Amino acid sequence: MDGFPILTIVTFLPLVGALLIAFLPASATRPVALGTALLTWIVSLMLVIGFAAGRGGLFQFTIEVPWIPIFGIEYKLGVDGLSLLLVVLTTTLSWISILASFKPIQTRIKEYMISFLILEVGMIGVFLALDTFLFYIFWEIVLVPMYLIIGIWGGANRIYATIKFVLYTLVGSLLMLVAILATAFAFQAAHGGDWTGAFDYEVLRAYAAAGGGFDPSLQLLAFGAFFLAFAIKVPMFPFHTWLPDAHVEAPTAGSVILASVLLKLGAYGFIRYGLSFYPDAAQTYAPVIIVLSLIAIIYGAIVALVQPDLKKLVAYSSVSHMGFVTLGIFIFQPQGMEGAILQMINHGLITGALFLLVGVIYERTHDRTIAKMGGLSGRTPVYVAILGFFVFASAGLPGLSGFVGEFLTLVGTFAVSPPAAAVATFVMILAAGYLLWMFQRVAFGEVSEFLKGLGGHLTDIDAVEILTVAPLGALVVVFGLFPGILLDIVDGSVTRALADVSTGAPIALEPLAVAAALGALAAVVGIRVVTLPMFRSGSPAEPAA
Amino acid sequence: MTFQDLVTILPFAAAILLAIGVIVADIVAPGRREPVLVVALGGLALVALLTVVTGTTDATAFGGAYRVDALTTFLDILFIGIVALTVMFAPDYLESRGLPLAEFSAVLLFAMTGAMLIAASADLLVLFIGLELMVLPGYLLAGYHKSDGFSTEGAIKYFLLGSFSSAIFLFGLAFVWGLTGTTRVSEVADQLTVQMATGGLSAGLALGLAFLTAGVAFKIAAVPFHYWTPDAYQGSPTPVTGYLSVGPKIGAFALILRLFVEALEPVKADWLPVVVGLAVLTMTLGNLVALTQTNVKRMLAYSSIAHTGYMLVGLAAYATGRMEGLEGLLYYGAAYSVMNLGAFAVITALQRRAGVTSNLDTFAGLGRREPFLGILMTLFLLSLTGIPPTAGFFAKAYVILAAVQASQAGATVLGVLAVVAVLNAAVAAFYYLRVVVYMFMREPASEPPALIRGRLLWAGLVVTAILTVVLGLIPGPLLDIVGVAARAIG
Repeated sequence: MDGFPILTIVTFLPLVGALLIAFLPASATRPVALGTALLTWIVSLMLVIGFAAGRGGLFQFTIEVPWIPIFGIEYKLGVDGLSLLLVVLTTTLSWISILASFKPIQTRIKEYMISFLILEVGMIGVFLALDTFLFYIFWEIVLVPMYLIIGIWGGANRIYATIKFVLYTLVGSLLMLVAILATAFAFQAAHGGDWTGAFDYEVLRAYAAAGGGFDPSLQLLAFGAFFLAFAIKVPMFPFHTWLPDAHVEAPTAGSVILASVLLKLGAYGFIRYGLSFYPDAAQTYAPVIIVLSLIAIIYGAIVALVQPDLKKLVAYSSVSHMGFVTLGIFIFQPQGMEGAILQMINHGLITGALFLLVGVIYERTHDRTIAKMGGLSGRTPVYVAILGFFVFASAGLPGLSGFVGEFLTLVGTFAVSPPAAAVATFVMILAAGYLLWMFQRVAFGEVSEFLKGLGGHLTDIDAVEILTVAPLGALVVVFGLFPGILLDIVDGSVTRALADVSTGAPIALEPLAVAAALGALAAVVGIRVVTLPMFRSGSPAEPAA
Repeated sequence: MTFQDLVTILPFAAAILLAIGVIVADIVAPGRREPVLVVALGGLALVALLTVVTGTTDATAFGGAYRVDALTTFLDILFIGIVALTVMFAPDYLESRGLPLAEFSAVLLFAMTGAMLIAASADLLVLFIGLELMVLPGYLLAGYHKSDGFSTEGAIKYFLLGSFSSAIFLFGLAFVWGLTGTTRVSEVADQLTVQMATGGLSAGLALGLAFLTAGVAFKIAAVPFHYWTPDAYQGSPTPVTGYLSVGPKIGAFALILRLFVEALEPVKADWLPVVVGLAVLTMTLGNLVALTQTNVKRMLAYSSIAHTGYMLVGLAAYATGRMEGLEGLLYYGAAYSVMNLGAFAVITALQRRAGVTSNLDTFAGLGRREPFLGILMTLFLLSLTGIPPTAGFFAKAYVILAAVQASQAGATVLGVLAVVAVLNAAVAAFYYLRVVVYMFMREPASEPPALIRGRLLWAGLVVTAILTVVLGLIPGPLLDIVGVAARAIG
């Protein structure tokens, strides 16, 4: 398939769909949107078929066209094992989200679908761009449709949530722009004023690996800027506060894409740009990032435990799960990074499904308060069975995909820092706690007065809704039993990324520092938990797990 | 005066004749707008053609007082474009308020000749004459709606502070003339080079420099010399505000290029710190005050102050020796003109009836009622914020690139300036996107305002929108042009 611009097609196919929707009559909007997303998905699957897994660390199907020649900026796309998985994850969840939007979205459908398809262009572009300038442009393109999706089709407090989302993201990304320009100029200055390759990912990576790489002070500043942009996107503690607001206010499909794909952009950025361009700075920052990841893992889990709202619970569980991803990346161990990448994919599948399922119940009850549910198993048995499946997957039940990523991450972490691994393992128990407790309160017990009051409105999950979660469930089983499928594809990328950082000094993680940070965290969480309204107004007693 | 001189000033002379021609057209066919529009727009196309044709070779006229180079040509085309778009946006707005179009166009064209004279001046006196020729019609335009109290108030403020600053500026020029004994730009530069080599900056010259800086800072509306801007912008008829926010600003930057970058080039190390300070203050204050505005015209007035700050970043980068700073400044000027004129044209379209305010409420629900207008406004606002792939993004990236380069070449303060600039861009996102919130996420409060649906205005809107996207997606051609223009003086 060499010479055939398949990457351009997979990136811009959704844009073609968006333009079609703009000019076709309103009745065609839904079929065209779903058709475009499915077609994009099929093209991305062709990518998987054509992809040479043996050369997974190298970029394939690359396309390179000069764009702004005087700065050496190019339109350059390429796919390696890591970006391949994330692109397929994006295209899969895009059509699922569009299908899941058919019923809930009843106003301004045209604008909604156009926004969604443009969002898909931006997300795929971020994963495929091999030019830092182009990467930045796709990165920012993602922002606008998401802003509109939350702001127009969101809940009651949507405007506050969407502005918060945009401002947080923009502060990080604009500083990243400065870092991109500074890196390009440092390269240009070192090459006698020649701009050729100054924005080219592969050229910059080779430059960073050879000799001394970039100047240490530039590395510290530039990595700091990249770190801020990515940490806000992941989101890492303490930059996570936009996430619960955005999730709660976003429409179901918006939450799905936000959790499944948008959060991955930050983690992807760390692996692709942070480690490769600034290996020394990555080593320097690693202890800080590891401690922040541990904090995120614990903090997210504890706060999830006390959430009264289903969506908020899943949102905070995302903070915790994404903590495993950043932990796995910055532990600089093969298993750790493989675990992190698996965790990215699995979190995308499982959390996406959980948000879809929360959406299903919200459609019927127009409420997400856990305390108002109860006894659903008697009324909607199929729904409860599916929900149970994904709850167990999210809790890390062996045999389902959620387990593999976390397990590998922990193995990698244990090799570097047993105390850190011990802390993270403990949280897996906590995760089982908040998820199963939530499941118990929603599914079992007496049918609540609230649900009784709904009468016939409380129908079981319908065929279309099953269709949206079934593919995710199938993948969760397949990847849980055969994680090697994914590992074969990303193996080369992991090896290359780790080879990039190995030039730096090994990290030194003081157990004492970890303990001190965790102590501080315990204090923060303690204060946070006792001030929660739920604890002030007398909550139901926690049952024995 | 030789024949060659006449050929050199041909575009300038044609512009003056055109301004007169518009008045004649109105005398021949009084009160009809078609002849005026045909003469004005057709004439502008002709002037643009002459500018490009005669601008291909560098030339001087009148013993070196008038000079045409690549920079002149670039700026002239930009001015012509700004004026042409303003003429396209104005007719329906003026007509519904009973204001004559012919005088409006003629005054606007005279302002353009002033700006063209600045761009072509190689002599301090010609520079000053050009400046006055540019700003005097501006005062007239600001008060053009003479039965509207706000328009008159804004015009008086603009006039008083404007003439005050012109006097200060002239005073500064007198110092430079007194201490160098010449008014020719090139000779001033030579003299200053000699003086700097022998004795450094003299007290008198420092004083002159201070006066010149203050005078110019008034004209570009840099903080703390910006007080006239919000009232003048809010009070003026909307098409005039659009023009005032770009035309005189670009003209004043042309003045900076001819005066500071050329004549005062030898003392650039002395004006650099001042420019850095002005840039920080201008960006930050402009943005912070814009945050609290509920009137869109006034908000754009403060945001235009902030954009002056971003352009000053480019100037500062140039002063530390980066040509990219100058190129970025020129690119920014072009991008800003396009997107800001577009944004004002949308406001104009909303104000078909006199008395329609430009408060945020006016925009409520616009995206649903008029999707096309809503999407265009969103595009302009995203561009003003600096979100890719738009002209505003690339312009901002370019000046920041220049500042980052300067910082890595040793001028650390420029690195700080780059960071201040991007943080300001994030602040600006809040108030620009608030308009989008009103357009797409709020229900209309009351009866929606009637729209102007004139073909000219909508054609102009489409042109500015296309340019906003094209300059962001394919910046290469304009980059080449500003590169050539910047090298003419740098």
